[in-house]
Amino acid sequence: MEALLIEATEDSPKIALDAANNLFQISGRSLPENAIGFYQPVFDWLQNYLQSPNTESVFEFQLEYFNTASAKQIAKILLFLEKLSIKSDVIVKWYYKQDDVDMLASGQRYAKLINVKFEVLEN
Amino acid sequence: MADFSNVDLNFAYLLFDGMQKDNLGYIYRGHFDQNITDNILLLTESNLEKEEQSSKVRKRIYSIMVEGLQNITRHQEDSEEASHEYFGIFVIQKKEDKYYITTGNVADNANIDTLKRLLEKINSLEKDALKDYYKEVLEEGSLSNKGGAGLGLIDMARKSGNKLIYDFVDVNEKYSYFYLQTVPTLTEGESLDDSNEALKNIMGIHKVLNEASVRLIFNGLFNQESLLNLLATIKGQITGSESVKNKVFYLIVEMLQNIIKHGTNIVPDSSGNPGLFLIGEKEGHYIITTGNYILNTKIEKLRTKIDCINELNEEELDKYYIKSLFNFEIDDSKESGLGIIDLRIKSGNKLHYTFHEVNNAVSFYTLQTYILIK
Repeated sequence: MEALLIEATEDSPKIALDAANNLFQISGRSLPENAIGFYQPVFDWLQNYLQSPNTESVFEFQLEYFNTASAKQIAKILLFLEKLSIKSDVIVKWYYKQDDVDMLASGQRYAKLINVKFEVLEN
Repeated sequence: MADFSNVDLNFAYLLFDGMQKDNLGYIYRGHFDQNITDNILLLTESNLEKEEQSSKVRKRIYSIMVEGLQNITRHQEDSEEASHEYFGIFVIQKKEDKYYITTGNVADNANIDTLKRLLEKINSLEKDALKDYYKEVLEEGSLSNKGGAGLGLIDMARKSGNKLIYDFVDVNEKYSYFYLQTVPTLTEGESLDDSNEALKNIMGIHKVLNEASVRLIFNGLFNQESLLNLLATIKGQITGSESVKNKVFYLIVEMLQNIIKHGTNIVPDSSGNPGLFLIGEKEGHYIITTGNYILNTKIEKLRTKIDCINELNEEELDKYYIKSLFNFEIDDSKESGLGIIDLRIKSGNKLHYTFHEVNNAVSFYTLQTYILIK
């Protein structure tokens, strides 16, 4: 399965979804004007990945900042991972920088709402 | 806790209206450093490109701005106390096809006479004489122990091709504001009427900004590009802990994307929605204010929503946030409201707003949030 690699820009995060290397990362700033459009390729890729996922899938979120429109898309991704966890061992690793209480709080909020193994980690 | 709920928000519309009339785009008031200067230059460059100015014109404006900004950077150090009233100011505006570049900074009263004489001399010289004078000063070496402020002014006059417009306003017994306005000739042979009306207007606005402790004001079309430029400019200006900086960043992004998404325009223009953005500091708080046009038909719904959100306690806010977060049904519609809830949660304060009717179709919507700097 082909990897999805999107480089970071000033207002959108880096996306690296690579089943062959068992790498699933979203990192950087996410405040695109059209969050739904930006994340569409991610959902398309995940939909494909769901057909024959790896035995373990560790999703790493290393975000500096995201706007509310992106918050919804992240919620949607996490809900999808719930679905994926039936077929693969899903672990979500949510990283926040020391002192970034908002990113910590967001991680904790998602962790409470999503039914997958969820770790909130300082980096 | 400071209470700003009695502050009359109508000043925002008055500023917006005044700035619109004189096509005042961008005013920065604060401490100037390399980062700020670079961002101002970048912002202007991209605007000039959008306005399809020739590279010759762009270069001319750019070099005058560089001199003007260096002038502020150099002389702001004159004021030892980093007091708010000593902040410099920078303005660029386009009016009747001419660009007006205005700087304001404090000057030591002891130096003002010398400065005035220099400006009078510069303005009395024609093109060739000015060139000779430039050489003369250059050879003499140090006209100013600050590294050639005199040269900078002569250079600005030479590049502009017009007289320098200037004025002084008393601050206290030690300092005055020195305002300098340059209006570069864009086509050969044109000349400028020597009106200082545009400068007087800016001096008036500077006074309002000083009184309201406004640090940065942006009036113009809001789109993703201007948002990113603004964020870069503001970043270096926010003091306080990382957590406060982050929060301010969150608030600004949501408020500006709110204008981009929900604002409206009086004249159709697809490149963005007109609006106003202000950030200021008062009583230990950052105060962030945005203003934009809104259709009158949308006001009641928005008012109800904000009033409702303002009445919720922390726990209720969290519940409401989660409910909206997972409501994908209204993803595409413009009414998800998650942004407003987030503003209320992140700022930790009630949202302050007003609607000012402009005509029977639209009103001007002002939204204000404030956050403790700590």
